[in-house]
Amino acid sequence: MALPILVVDDSALARKVLTKSLPDDWDVEVSYAANGVEALAQYRAGKASVMFLDLTMPDMNGYEVLDILKREELNTFVIVVSADVQLEAQERVRAAGAMAFIQKPVTSEKLLPILKEYGIYA
Amino acid sequence: MLDCEFTEEQRDALQEVANVGMGHAGARLAQLLSAFVALSVPRIRLIQRAELPAALDEMMSFADNVTAVRQGFKSDINGEAVVIFDGEGMREIAIAFGGEEAQDEHDETEVAYEAANILIGACLASVFEQLNCTLTYSAPRLIGRNIPLAVVVQPDTLHWGAALLLEVNFALENRNFRAHLITLTADESIARLRHALDELLADI
Repeated sequence: MALPILVVDDSALARKVLTKSLPDDWDVEVSYAANGVEALAQYRAGKASVMFLDLTMPDMNGYEVLDILKREELNTFVIVVSADVQLEAQERVRAAGAMAFIQKPVTSEKLLPILKEYGIYA
Repeated sequence: MLDCEFTEEQRDALQEVANVGMGHAGARLAQLLSAFVALSVPRIRLIQRAELPAALDEMMSFADNVTAVRQGFKSDINGEAVVIFDGEGMREIAIAFGGEEAQDEHDETEVAYEAANILIGACLASVFEQLNCTLTYSAPRLIGRNIPLAVVVQPDTLHWGAALLLEVNFALENRNFRAHLITLTADESIARLRHALDELLADI
């Protein structure tokens, strides 16, 4: 069965770049959200076994999404995808429950090792 | 459609490109000041010359005077970058930089130059790299120290009709420091910018 993954970013360009960076032969069903509110709705509809999450967004940012996921003990594998390259930003999102962090702009070279490391993609 | 108007796709692409540039600039600033920098969503507006002061006023909620540094940039796309600092915040980081002695005007100006240079350099280098353009800068110039926002950009002195205004801002956690980086791109450079964005979009 295809793995439901959710791409959360307010930018259409960023959503496109990320989708294009996914392995071609990965059996996934990709859904999209443009902000945190939409992301949680998609999660609750079962669309997010894996969530690629941007941090700076209007209408609930990525930090707030992480906070709610943690507080409500929701189960999804979150990979934060952000232009914020501060080390402390990476530490903060990991502390908030994200499994990994990818710096924008996303490329398949950055994405693949992370998917493999966590066994999401073999 | 006017030649300088952006499609939704171009606007979105520019915003994302600016977002990545802002991330780089924010990280450099964080390093410089040993602090965590909160980033915003970049804002983009197409404005007429006379609308500029009102647009800046709306984007920036400075209660007090500001310190501003400008720097021109040249590429296929020409323009001007201005960094506007909160005056009080600037004094605070001047102290953070140089200790209690670094409180005179000279040191504050030096810090403004250095911070502006880092923000403009890191942000624009990243933006233009993504757009596949090389870039040169003119020397930075102090617009003024402790001046009202209204006199930072005076429409009478500008030589364009319409310009693209791009704004990103940086705030330091637990400090008053705030900085806005704006770029103004006018005339034929707007058409070139749109073209560069189209090429970026076509590559995806």
